[in-house]
Amino acid sequence: EDGEIVVKFAHVVNATGHPKGVAADTLAGRVNDEMNGTMCMEVFPNSTLYDDDQVLEAMLQGDVQLAAPSLSKFETFTKVFRIFDLPFMFKNVDAVDAFQTSETGQAMKDSMQRRGLQGLQFWHNGMKQFSANVPLVSPADAQGLKFRVQPSDVLVAQMEALGASPQPMAFSEVYGALQTGVVDGQENTWSNIWGQKFFEVQDGTTETNHGIIDYLVVASVDWLDSLDPAVRDQFLTILEEVTVAGNAAVGDLDAQARQSILDAGGVIRELSDEERQAWVDVMKPVWEQFEGDVGADNIAAAQEINASM
Amino acid sequence: MSGQTDAAVSPLGRFVNALEEMVIAYILAAMTVITFVNVVLRYVFNHTILWGLEVTTILFAWLVLLGISYGFKRTAHLGVDAILNIVGPGPKRVMVLLSALACLVYGGLLMKGAWDYWAPFAGYQRTEGRIIPTGFDDRTRDQAFYHTEQVPVPFGGEFLAERFNMGESYDKLPRFIPYFVLPFGVALMLFRIIQATIGVLAGRRDSLIVSHEAEDAVAEARMAEN
Amino acid sequence: MQVVLLFTMVMGLLLIGTPIAVALGLSSIIFLLAFSDTSLASVAQSLYQAMEGHYTLLAIPFFILASSFMSTGGVAKRIIRFSIACVGHLRGGLAIAGVFACMIFAALSGSSPATVVAIGTIVIAAMKQAGYTKEFAAGVICNAGTLGILIPPSIVMVVYASATDVSVGRMFLAGVIPGLLAGFMLMVTIYVMAIVRDMPKGEWRGFGEIGASFLDALWGLMLIVIIMVGIYGIPGLTGAIFTPTEAAAVASVYAFVVAVFVYRDMGPLAARDGQGRKSLLQRPQALVTALFHRDTRNTLLDAARLTVMLMFIIANALILKHVLTDEQIPQSIARAMLDAGFGPIMFLVVVNVILLIGGQFMEPSGLIVIVAPLVFPIAIQLGIDPIHLGIIMVVNMEIGMITPPVGLNLFVTSGVAGMSMMAVVRAALPFLAVLFVFLIIVTYVPWLSTWLPTSRMGPEIITN
Ligand code: NA
Ligand code: NA
Repeated sequence: EDGEIVVKFAHVVNATGHPKGVAADTLAGRVNDEMNGTMCMEVFPNSTLYDDDQVLEAMLQGDVQLAAPSLSKFETFTKVFRIFDLPFMFKNVDAVDAFQTSETGQAMKDSMQRRGLQGLQFWHNGMKQFSANVPLVSPADAQGLKFRVQPSDVLVAQMEALGASPQPMAFSEVYGALQTGVVDGQENTWSNIWGQKFFEVQDGTTETNHGIIDYLVVASVDWLDSLDPAVRDQFLTILEEVTVAGNAAVGDLDAQARQSILDAGGVIRELSDEERQAWVDVMKPVWEQFEGDVGADNIAAAQEINASM
Repeated sequence: MSGQTDAAVSPLGRFVNALEEMVIAYILAAMTVITFVNVVLRYVFNHTILWGLEVTTILFAWLVLLGISYGFKRTAHLGVDAILNIVGPGPKRVMVLLSALACLVYGGLLMKGAWDYWAPFAGYQRTEGRIIPTGFDDRTRDQAFYHTEQVPVPFGGEFLAERFNMGESYDKLPRFIPYFVLPFGVALMLFRIIQATIGVLAGRRDSLIVSHEAEDAVAEARMAEN
Repeated sequence: MQVVLLFTMVMGLLLIGTPIAVALGLSSIIFLLAFSDTSLASVAQSLYQAMEGHYTLLAIPFFILASSFMSTGGVAKRIIRFSIACVGHLRGGLAIAGVFACMIFAALSGSSPATVVAIGTIVIAAMKQAGYTKEFAAGVICNAGTLGILIPPSIVMVVYASATDVSVGRMFLAGVIPGLLAGFMLMVTIYVMAIVRDMPKGEWRGFGEIGASFLDALWGLMLIVIIMVGIYGIPGLTGAIFTPTEAAAVASVYAFVVAVFVYRDMGPLAARDGQGRKSLLQRPQALVTALFHRDTRNTLLDAARLTVMLMFIIANALILKHVLTDEQIPQSIARAMLDAGFGPIMFLVVVNVILLIGGQFMEPSGLIVIVAPLVFPIAIQLGIDPIHLGIIMVVNMEIGMITPPVGLNLFVTSGVAGMSMMAVVRAALPFLAVLFVFLIIVTYVPWLSTWLPTSRMGPEIITN
């Protein structure tokens, strides 16, 4: 309508069934309800408007106002988010949450201001698991396999530490590639493995919880500055409330997805403490390589939180 | 190509022709070879050149964006000539001039868009004004820090860092390099559209389109036959 | 209302002879400037990202290149010899062999006009010599050539998959049965016509000729095997080796090697100046010079030019798609259609009509990019299988290619056969009826399209 501030929110997942898609729709619903007359939000799911590679460019151009790419998409803006890609950095989603709401985590949201982006809220997807077309129990099982990974230096280093071969590949091609054996395995969260039906074309999924997939809701500094302070505060408050509720529900969605995979006949391998430790031993050395990017103090803070859980 | 061409009589014209053809032909060859090599590396050696995919898609963009101007030069772009062929020479000329005008407007608007898109990545200012540029926008945020996902900097890293990124070194190729083809290709396209329009005005060309995509292939096949 | 304005602008520009790409792009830009606050920079971004951001579309230049090497490199004429050996002795045999050869070449090439050129240049001349009328020969090849986009690989399927995010591999599999069926229907029609009209038949040259011609064509035919095994693997032996996009690149390299070093119909080892073909031993430097030989360069250039023409249109169609998305137009059309109580059957009729009309004016890939995102969400809501929808669209494109005023196959055939366009249109008419019947069958018998991909790759999932 006339006079309303139009907020375009572009993301790349389904509007239903995916934690991010659901949160985005909830956010839009509340904004359009509670801020009727001042602000109006349109959500563009499924990469229909921009995909994650283009959305940040478009945001700096002023063509889209809100986005929530996965943290590995911010590589070019700041290297601090690499901490979330480092294997076994966080014990579980609660530890991630505690870290992000700590002062350290809050500071990270401001780390891209000089490049024109303001982080607003972290949205969770869940802990990552490994799946492959052969049983994965010990890290040696992954040796020589081809794994599809997101194009990020940390994830490439992580796969190399396992002796596996990292393969960059468009997300839409992954199912076909796993099925036909162009690649052998992949890493993802329960909800993605269920949503994309990867378990159908894999021998099984190993519950490693070795990393996390998280999103950052961002807006451009220029756009936020252009908003009337009262409007901005109202919007950010709604966003925060949606975030808290959405993140709280992620654990349930995750468990549901995991159960759905089992119900559909998918194989899930749980690891004993010793078995899991073997994976930690092989992959943890990757930390050293990126300590300079993420800061030793940040790593220490993360470990402190893990210990307190 | 079937359409009319501005006969390249001068040595310079011949050189430019050969260069354009060389460039687009071997960009395609490079894309093919990189993709093929990566398949072999993956299947036989369990290895991948990580930047292979990204470089291939960049080359794809270069191929097309450089090729568009060549297409205007050789009157090779597809169109509908059903009406053009029915009407008399007078109306036809008016229609062709109108479509030349449409191409000029398209090229002009795209030129502004291409500059505005590319400029911040190279630390230049985008233009002000929504349709017509009315000056440079000094509030443009410098986005020279923005780099590609996987492509390494082959050489000149220090120079690039000093000149464009306030001394901060790039660990990947900055985006303004692959993106440069956008303003460059669109400028070339605009130039060829202007040339074509002049050609129409001077009566050297009778349209901007070829509607028979494969005419050429047919002509060649016939020559091979004879 | 605004959307009517947009499409009127596109049509107007098209009819005065503006390049298709410019008609699409300019209309979109003007629409954006008038009705939204999107910047010109975002249009430029769309144009660039059409190539850099669409991994699947990469298959287009590669399949075009593979096809160029095969047409110039002598694969087509060996396929024709093999086809004649197989079915040339039937009544109307040469015509049936022409269809058969088109089907085989279609399994190598992703484009219909390319199929007509490769097979038509040789077969139409041969048919005239054997006593067929020129019109009959042109009609047969013009129609059979359309199988180029239905039998995998197919450029139009790649474009559809890219516009709707369904799997290219699935689309390829889905085209196999309909492709074979369409070819079979054409052959039966010809056979019946041949008996009624008492057309010539060739002599049976024996199984020896079948074997010999098969061996000669083997290098070319191997490409079908390489593509299929590469994309789908052999159960129990090997997994897949490459993605459909990569398959196209591998096919190009393979076709280049076969054309230059095996068949030696082109390149530094070819026969010329009265001398026969050279062997690689006589000219080992050919390993390097072949890459820069005039024939290689010209083939690369041909493929590059065709790629540019197609991608210029597709990139601008993607700008139009961006506009439609930005203005949420598919959603409002979907709502209107659902409110009007359209069921799947009525919906498919509408899609067929839109595509048949659109196909009169537009080049298939460009049309698919525009129409697919528009009808796809509606189809999903109505419970239509996305793969089935894709095949329906491809068959519509086939028909669009042989109906005036814009039909690529008509143009190409008129060139190849040396006939006027209208003469080709009349010649193609009887077989066009066959394709129409085929369209109806494909539209209302979904399992023809979905059975193979479902049984080979499991049920389609609609996610992103
Ligand atoms: Na084909
Ligand atoms: Na047509």
